[in-house]
Amino acid sequence: MRNDEAMTGPDHNDQAAPPRLRSVVRAMIWATVPVLLLVQLLASAGVEASSFWSQIRQLDARMARVAESRAELIAEPLWKMRYDQVTGVLNEIMHDETIAAAAVYDDTGAAIARVAARPEGRAVAEVSRPIHYSNGNMAVEAGRIAIAYSNAALYADAGSRLVLLLVVGLLATFATLIAMRISANIFIGRPLAAMMSAIQRSKQDGRAYPADVTCSNEFGQLARAFNAMQHTTSGALDRLGHMAAHDPLTGLPNRRSLTERLAVASRHCGRADALVAFCFIDLDDFKGINDTFGHEAGDELLVQISQRLRSAVEAEDWVARLGGDEFVVIRPEVSNEASAHAFAQQVLAAISEPIRLHDKQVVPRASIGLAVRRADDPELSHLPTLADIALYHAKSKAPGTVAVLDEALQRDYRRRRDLELAIPAGFDEGQFEVWYQSQVDLESHEVVGLEALIRWRHPDHGVIGPAEFLPLIERSGNNGRLTRYVLTDACWALQRLAAAGRPQIRIAINLPPSELADHSLAAALRATCARFDVAASLLELEITEGSLINNIASAAETLHRLRRLGATIALDDFGTGYSSLAHLRRFPLDKVKIDKAFISEIPDSAEDKAIVGVIASLAGTLGLTLVAEGIERAEQAEAMREMGVRFGQGYLYQRPQPLDAVLRWLKTQPAAESRVLADSPSIAPEFA
Amino acid sequence: MRFLRILLAVGMACGVFASAGPSFAKPLEIVFVNPGKTGEVFWDMVAQSMQAAGRKLDAQVEVLTSERNYRTMQELGLGVLARQDKPDFLILSNEESAAVPIMEAAEAAGVKTLLLSNTLIGEDAARLGPPRQKLKTWLGDITTDLQTAGARMANALIAAARAEKWQSPDGRIHILGIGGDEITPASIARNAGLKLAVDAAPDVVVDRLLFANWTQSEAERVTTNYLGWASRKEIRPAGIWAGNDPMALGALRAVVAAGLVPGRDIQLVGLNWSEDALREIRAGRLLLTDGGHFLLGGWSIVLLRDYADGCDFAAVSPRVEVKTSAITRQNLGSVGDLIKTRAFDRIDFARFRAKAGRCGHYDFSLDALISSLPLPEGAAD
Repeated sequence: MRNDEAMTGPDHNDQAAPPRLRSVVRAMIWATVPVLLLVQLLASAGVEASSFWSQIRQLDARMARVAESRAELIAEPLWKMRYDQVTGVLNEIMHDETIAAAAVYDDTGAAIARVAARPEGRAVAEVSRPIHYSNGNMAVEAGRIAIAYSNAALYADAGSRLVLLLVVGLLATFATLIAMRISANIFIGRPLAAMMSAIQRSKQDGRAYPADVTCSNEFGQLARAFNAMQHTTSGALDRLGHMAAHDPLTGLPNRRSLTERLAVASRHCGRADALVAFCFIDLDDFKGINDTFGHEAGDELLVQISQRLRSAVEAEDWVARLGGDEFVVIRPEVSNEASAHAFAQQVLAAISEPIRLHDKQVVPRASIGLAVRRADDPELSHLPTLADIALYHAKSKAPGTVAVLDEALQRDYRRRRDLELAIPAGFDEGQFEVWYQSQVDLESHEVVGLEALIRWRHPDHGVIGPAEFLPLIERSGNNGRLTRYVLTDACWALQRLAAAGRPQIRIAINLPPSELADHSLAAALRATCARFDVAASLLELEITEGSLINNIASAAETLHRLRRLGATIALDDFGTGYSSLAHLRRFPLDKVKIDKAFISEIPDSAEDKAIVGVIASLAGTLGLTLVAEGIERAEQAEAMREMGVRFGQGYLYQRPQPLDAVLRWLKTQPAAESRVLADSPSIAPEFA
Repeated sequence: MRFLRILLAVGMACGVFASAGPSFAKPLEIVFVNPGKTGEVFWDMVAQSMQAAGRKLDAQVEVLTSERNYRTMQELGLGVLARQDKPDFLILSNEESAAVPIMEAAEAAGVKTLLLSNTLIGEDAARLGPPRQKLKTWLGDITTDLQTAGARMANALIAAARAEKWQSPDGRIHILGIGGDEITPASIARNAGLKLAVDAAPDVVVDRLLFANWTQSEAERVTTNYLGWASRKEIRPAGIWAGNDPMALGALRAVVAAGLVPGRDIQLVGLNWSEDALREIRAGRLLLTDGGHFLLGGWSIVLLRDYADGCDFAAVSPRVEVKTSAITRQNLGSVGDLIKTRAFDRIDFARFRAKAGRCGHYDFSLDALISSLPLPEGAAD
């Protein structure tokens, strides 16, 4: 029936191979109706059989009575030999269809009259009675009457009644079946269908619908329990939905909600020319806070920041935490870019209020990338990306400020993205080139070494400096590959230098921070040197202070290992970062390179001269060789030399060039003396 | 003598004028309501003997036939009583007790009645009593002694069987009785006669008294059945007693059909003096036929003549019972022709009148009848 289809249908639709659904109603009917039918038939047959035997007995009794009554009637004509009358009387009983034959015998045993039914019926029983004749004078037995009769009619009747009972039984069973189906559908099928319907609806849209069942029987109870469960499920689903869309720490909407929110903003923009301001907020140095105060304090900071953000915005504004230290604030309607910028500043100011963490005052800093788009802009969904571009700019160029997305930033972003995508091709096609810049002995003006500097000869963008693409290389995880590339080129260059008669010239290689954690670097260095048959002592590895900070133990071990191979270690860009004296002492350093920022104002800046002087004095004390970077003028070189800086490097001497050009240039320079090598075997000879 | 006979003939022919007859006080007018059917031998013969006697005894006898319908009989009788000229006597037969209303009407009308052959029975007899008491006009009745007849017939059979030694293996003489019916007095009397005779003969047994409704065909059928039964029972049937001649003749046919020779293997007797019976007697196949009671018609006229002439038969009894007689091969010759030709005028009824001083004394025996008959024509002449 219909209910069954409603119950079975969805399963067929939803599951590829569901277990064959057997309707409970049908199963009940299959279990009940055959039993019912059997019992009915057996009962009918039993009743009919007993009735049949009773009728047989009645028939026997009736036949006996017939025989006796006929005997009375026949007695006189028989005695008086009116045999025709006897036959007549006998014939009368043949109207009884059960009687097959009858006969009257006189006292001699001779058959006086004999009648038989036309069709020779099967006589199965016989009754015989004496015929007594009496009058006033006498009483004699005049003869006998015998009646043969058939039970066939009874059998036929019983058969037809059985057939009738069978038909009635079948009809009754059929009626029962109909009644069962109807009642089962009402009492079972309908509540089940209602619950199935509720389940289907719940499956379709993920909400928990109650089943519409009002009956008070077991199914009603089941439905109420089901509805209670649905209610519980509904609450759980709501909570789950909330959890899925919200950040558990701050209670703010999460990244998932962002897409929906943007869709809402595009749909519900009040005016067509209204602007949507999207602020992408990233806390500056949140890692430092975590490291300093612990993660709980970091979480506490995030919670407080989220509260500030919420209180800093209007009701129609929208605040979310995307994860980590990233927040988003959307103002759906701003009149122009300036007011959007003001809003971002206002948010930034709110964040930057001091916070107490563990009884310590902390001033949170954040950078904001702001992107503004018209509400009907089809690219509204790209707002997070756009704001991220601005944020990137702010973080990289001016942390703690608001960067507004403009054409230039977008251009930068696109170029950055292009380069990032082109890195694998750059490796494959040999677009990366190693240029070399000489280091010169400020005293003798001899070239004592070369710094290997990476360049990218991009087919579209031309030669690109490392400042632009090295962060991209690092982000793409290609630092190790690039380092080994440079290492190989340097060893090859050492081979060329030796061939060119300059075997004493050393080559310095910049090691990115991640390489210091790579224990395989030392092995790679040794293998490469062996391949090109050059001494590892001709290689100098330049590291920055920043790379030491993050992983002090690992870095120290790597440096020791490299140093044991013979390579020298130089601390690059000294003075701009931590300028930690401890670093100078803790790590196995051979050389310190003074950052060009201290050089460029010399000799005019007395302060710079003082700093360089202190550094030189310190290096001298610690036995470290000093190299001044960025020497562009002769007086700078002179000043350095006067302050005790041994080596220099800069445009004054040579701009970075490909190796061939360097080799040609070297031919114009006086050859270094062998004393240099002997001068300081443990410390790399310095070249200007 | 011839002259006298011519006178008589003229007197009879003229009827009313016969009153001039020498010894009669006055001519009588008598009406007989015949219960039988036209052509029914017995009642025809009764009427004919009555009319013959009337001619001899100066009585005009009018016969009205009711054709075996008692309603018709009553209508006829009442019609006679309603006449302007009422008859002197009304002769009725109380068949099926249909005569009683007529007798009561006759009492009212003052017409004297005589019952012939069937008198009052049962309730009527009890209610009305003997003649001439409640119904003054009911003079009496004249009936036949049929019980004696039945016994005589049985005795004749027994004697014949004994003579022939027709005993069955059980040593007894087995006889079949065939009665007319079981209810009419005439039948009951004959059957009682049979029983009377057999009871007196310990060596004789009546196997069955069967009833054949007075008819030949039924008698033949039951006889056939009896003979079959008897042969199965290994009984040697010695005689068949039939209540009347037709039944005797039916039994005769059955006997013949059974391969027996009547008269040699078995004897049969009948009653009625019927022509056919006389023929079979002559052929030796029938032992006898008892009867002669059709002469009650003539004898009734004799009684009424005497009564009218002052010699009342009630001097002996108002109930006159006439004995019947058997006709055998021995006496067949004298009466056979009389019956065959129905020449009842040959009977001199005047000779049977009561003698003076002996009113009520009559001799209606066969011998008297035979002696009353004139010699055969040829012999007489």
